[in-house]
Amino acid sequence: MRTSRVLALGLTALVLVGACTSGATPTPAAASPGTGASAPASAPASAPASEGPKVSVRIGSDNFYESKLVGEIYAQVLENAGYPVERKFGLGSRQQRIPTMDAGQVDLVPEYVGSGLGFYDKTKITGDGQKNADALQAALNAANKNITVLAIAPGTDTNAFAVRPDTATQFSLSKMSDLAAHQADLKWGLPSDCDTNALCAGALKEYGLTYPPAKRTALDACSVPMATALQGKAIDVAEFCSTQPAIAQFGFVVLADDKQTQPAENLAPLVRNDYLAKVDKDAFSALLNAASAKITTEELTKMGVSVDVDHKDVGEVAKAFLQAAGLIK
Amino acid sequence: MSGVVAFLTDPANWSGTTGIPNRLVEHLIISGLSLLFATVIALPLGLYIGHTNRGSSLAINLANIGRAVPSYAMMVIMLPLTLSLAPVLGYDPTFGLVFLPTFLAMAFLAIPPLLVATYAGLRSVDRELIEAGRGMGLRDSQILGRIELPLASSIIVGGFRTATLQVIATATIGAILSGGGLGRFIFDGLAQGAAGYPSIYAGAVLVAGLAIAVDLVLSLLQTRLTPRALRKARRRGPSGPTSVIDSPDLQEQAASPA
Repeated sequence: MRTSRVLALGLTALVLVGACTSGATPTPAAASPGTGASAPASAPASAPASEGPKVSVRIGSDNFYESKLVGEIYAQVLENAGYPVERKFGLGSRQQRIPTMDAGQVDLVPEYVGSGLGFYDKTKITGDGQKNADALQAALNAANKNITVLAIAPGTDTNAFAVRPDTATQFSLSKMSDLAAHQADLKWGLPSDCDTNALCAGALKEYGLTYPPAKRTALDACSVPMATALQGKAIDVAEFCSTQPAIAQFGFVVLADDKQTQPAENLAPLVRNDYLAKVDKDAFSALLNAASAKITTEELTKMGVSVDVDHKDVGEVAKAFLQAAGLIK
Repeated sequence: MSGVVAFLTDPANWSGTTGIPNRLVEHLIISGLSLLFATVIALPLGLYIGHTNRGSSLAINLANIGRAVPSYAMMVIMLPLTLSLAPVLGYDPTFGLVFLPTFLAMAFLAIPPLLVATYAGLRSVDRELIEAGRGMGLRDSQILGRIELPLASSIIVGGFRTATLQVIATATIGAILSGGGLGRFIFDGLAQGAAGYPSIYAGAVLVAGLAIAVDLVLSLLQTRLTPRALRKARRRGPSGPTSVIDSPDLQEQAASPA
């Protein structure tokens, strides 16, 4: 809550600062190279051709911390390169955010390629991030959305099974295939809809596990009780979300989904084509792609602890990440 | 609606560990144990503060803090505690996950109405009767046992009814922490989306039915425990016997059922 209030304050401040500095040029969308007073708006032609005009970009996000965080990372990378950024974070869930973008109210949003594709066609979701991104692009084209999917980040927020470090050592577990041999020794924490969920019961069967396991506890996946129960040894295997802060917080070991049973939910920026047409598309994309390349599942989990557990400011966490990655100073 | 009827009449839902009879028994066990635990704490405390009128505002206000904390929050707060105590006290951590947090949250839910009703019941006894008892040479324990307790019993049972109703209804959330009971039908149904609606509604109907049935049994007990003379007096009253605490001057003292 506090974070969002700080964000709101920051936004207000930004808008005020923007209003002050751009005083002479009332339309921020008008082509103006650089920010602030660096150059007058009357000389766009004099800007170097390779740089292109730096048109203000409106960045949106869904209303949970990870989406805001990734939106903020993209925002700071673009700001660092001289693009004025207008933050429109917390637009709601995908159901509200997609119409907002379709209506042209935001130019760029971070998206999970699996669920994003699922919005259009659930049957095409795979365990391969690039395939999901390609299929999402095809779906967007088919729906005449005029939206481009830029390069995917390696980081993916999908269903993941995790164990405590002591369990991992005891049974030498590192991937899902390792579980079958020790199934009977383990207490399982599974969501109560697991029986009827192909991604849960179906996936476990694919790994040669007998379903349902003998010792099973019904807890919501990705929930606090699930993490507490795993930490407190009431269960030994828990279903989480792969970037859940509790994983980094308690040092849980995520078992690799070596048979790709879970949908790949890599993050990627979606950008409106009408915006890309106004800027140097290649330079703009290269900036975002370089940032995406550094967004790994581990980094997302670590940043999640800072934002969601330690309640640090999203802007500061994003800045620290980009500085460590050498993308901004 | 037809889905709910189909769910309730499906023989598969009436057998085994996930069947309605077993869930009903689980629900009664967790509710009964929490109520028992709450009674063991609230009844002696209520009798003490009611009889002596000492520390009443402190005890009642303290108990009412328990009402202010939502039961779910109470469970989540208890969970790390009950899990970390497992190796210390030597119980199975599963017990600390599935049973203890719900049990404690339900006990905390039941204590305030029981405590308030016990206190209010004792304070409702006519002072002249107590003075008369004292004049006859009765000791404090005899005044409590022979005068106050019998006269207050119907109000105390009224508080117990309120507590029971709340606990039976709220024990459903034990399913969040993998507990059994009728809440399983609701939470397992919720996890299935639209396909789970029959299960959700059937669970809700069963919980409501159980609460009403238990309340009816307790209301009979309450009538039985009311001294005959008072029963007649009530019957003459305009509204007849009511469920909780029916003397108007006491309704202010006793917190209303949440």
